[in-house]
Amino acid sequence: MFKLNRSLQRKFDLLYLLTYKEITLKYKRTVLGIFWSLLNPIFSALVFMVAFKIFMRFKIENYTFFLLSALFPWNWFLSSITISARSLVDNVTLIKKVIFPRQYLIISVILAQLVHLFFSMPILFVFSLYSNHGISFLAWGIGIPLIILIQFVFTFGVSLIISISNTFYRDIEYLIAVLINLAFWMTPITYPMSSIPEKFRSLFLLNPLTSIMSVWRGLLFENKILWDYLFIALGIAIALLTLGTMIFKKMEKRLDEVL
Amino acid sequence: MSKIIEVKHLIKKFPMIKNQRAFKEMVVNLHRFSPKKNNEHFIALNSINFSVEKGECLGIIGKNGAGKSTLLSLLLGTSYPTEGELKVYGKRTPLLELGAGFHPDLTGRENIVLNGVLLGLTKKEVLARQEEIIQFSEISEFIDMPVRTYSAGMYMRLAFSVAICTDPEILLIDEILAVGDESFQKKSQGALIPLIKSGVTTVFVSHNLEEVKKICNRALWLDHGNIMAEGSAPEVISQYLHKINQ
Repeated sequence: MFKLNRSLQRKFDLLYLLTYKEITLKYKRTVLGIFWSLLNPIFSALVFMVAFKIFMRFKIENYTFFLLSALFPWNWFLSSITISARSLVDNVTLIKKVIFPRQYLIISVILAQLVHLFFSMPILFVFSLYSNHGISFLAWGIGIPLIILIQFVFTFGVSLIISISNTFYRDIEYLIAVLINLAFWMTPITYPMSSIPEKFRSLFLLNPLTSIMSVWRGLLFENKILWDYLFIALGIAIALLTLGTMIFKKMEKRLDEVL
Repeated sequence: MSKIIEVKHLIKKFPMIKNQRAFKEMVVNLHRFSPKKNNEHFIALNSINFSVEKGECLGIIGKNGAGKSTLLSLLLGTSYPTEGELKVYGKRTPLLELGAGFHPDLTGRENIVLNGVLLGLTKKEVLARQEEIIQFSEISEFIDMPVRTYSAGMYMRLAFSVAICTDPEILLIDEILAVGDESFQKKSQGALIPLIKSGVTTVFVSHNLEEVKKICNRALWLDHGNIMAEGSAPEVISQYLHKINQ
C-alpha cells in the first residue's frame, strides 16, 4: 500500500476516528444499533407511500422506487444538515481546549451519515435490478460515486455556514428546522419534475437540490447520467463550498468569544 | 538558541456580553433603537511582548483575571489574537483541562486512541504506546469500560497519561502538575518534571509560587493584561510578593 506522509496520515486518522465515533455513538445504547439507519428511511418512505400511492393515487409508474431514489439521498442531506448545525455548539470543550481543524467535526458528521446512506443502497440496487433498465456500470460505477461526491461538497458547504452561524445566533437551528421542511416540498422528491408548471421550472432549478435529486433519479431510474443537471449541481456545490469556507474561516477566529 | 514562542504586541479583546437582547426586548425598545454597534470591549491582554527559547520553562503568575489563561489558550491556538503577532513553532500539548477530548461513552482504550491523535500522533503511533499509557495510568482493569463509569481521579489519571506519552514538544500547563491520589501525584510529578527539565519547552501558569520557583527558569508577572515584570523566577516572584503584601 502507498504510504502517506505523516501529517497527512494523522489528518486521515483523526477524520476516521471522529467519523467512527459519530457512527458508533449514535446508537450506542440501543438494541437495534446501526439497523436504525436502515429502519429510519424505510419508515419515512412507508409514510409517503401510504399518503401518495394509496391515498392520493399518483399515476407514476413504479412509485415506490421513484420515491426512494430521491428520498434516500435526501435523508443523507437532511440528517447531515440537522446534526452538523449543532456539531460546533455541542463540542464546546473540544473546541476550547484542543487544537484540530474544526471543520473536521462537520466532515465527520456528513461522512457518518453517508455510511447510513450506504446501508440503504442495497435496497435501491435491488429495485434497479428488477426495473426495466437493469443495472449499468455507467450509472453505478461512475454516476453514483460522482453524484455522491457532488452532494458531499454541497452539503459540506451548507453545513459550514449553518454550523458556524449557529454558534453566534442559536436561532439558526430553529430556522433551519423550518426551512428544511420547505426545501423538501420545493424539491422534486415526492413528485416528478414534470408535474411542475412549465413557467416555474427554471425557478426550481435555482434550488440546487433539484438538480442533485434529478441526477440521482436519472441514474437509478433510467440508468442515464443527466450531465446538464450534474454540471449545474457541481457548479453550485463548488460555489457554496468556497463561500462556506470563507465564512467559516472568518468567523472561526471569534469562536472562543461566543462559545 | 532558537525561539520557540514569539509574541509581539499581542492584544486580546473580548466583546462585553451583557445579556444578549432577545427579540421581545428589541421590539419593546424599538423607540430608542440606535444603529450604534456594541463597541464595549474587555481588554484581556494589552499589547504584550515576550518570547520563549527552546528548552526554557516560563512561569506565568498573577492574580485571578490577570489574563493568564487567555494567554495560554492563545498559545495553544484555540483562540486568536485581536491584534499583534503570535508565533509558536512546534507541537503543542495542553495540560489545561484534562480529558477535554474524552467522550464519556467511549471506552478508556478508544479514548486513548482518539486523544492521542488529537494530541498530534498518528493512530499507529498511539497503538504502539497504548500499553505504556495503560500501564502508567494504573487502570488496566477498567480500560475497556466507558469512561463515564470512571471516578474523577481515574479519568484524570488516564488523560494525564495520554498527554505525557505523546512526545510533547511544547507543554502548556495550567496548574496541573500532578493528579490523582498521593501516590499517583508523586508518580505524575515524577514523570512530568524530568520531562520539563530535559528540555521540553514549557509555559506554566500557576498560583503556586513555590512550584514556579522550583521548575521554571524564567517568570512573567501579568496584571490586568499587562506585563508587570519579567526575569528570573525568584526575582519576579519576590517583586510580586512585595506588591501583594504592600
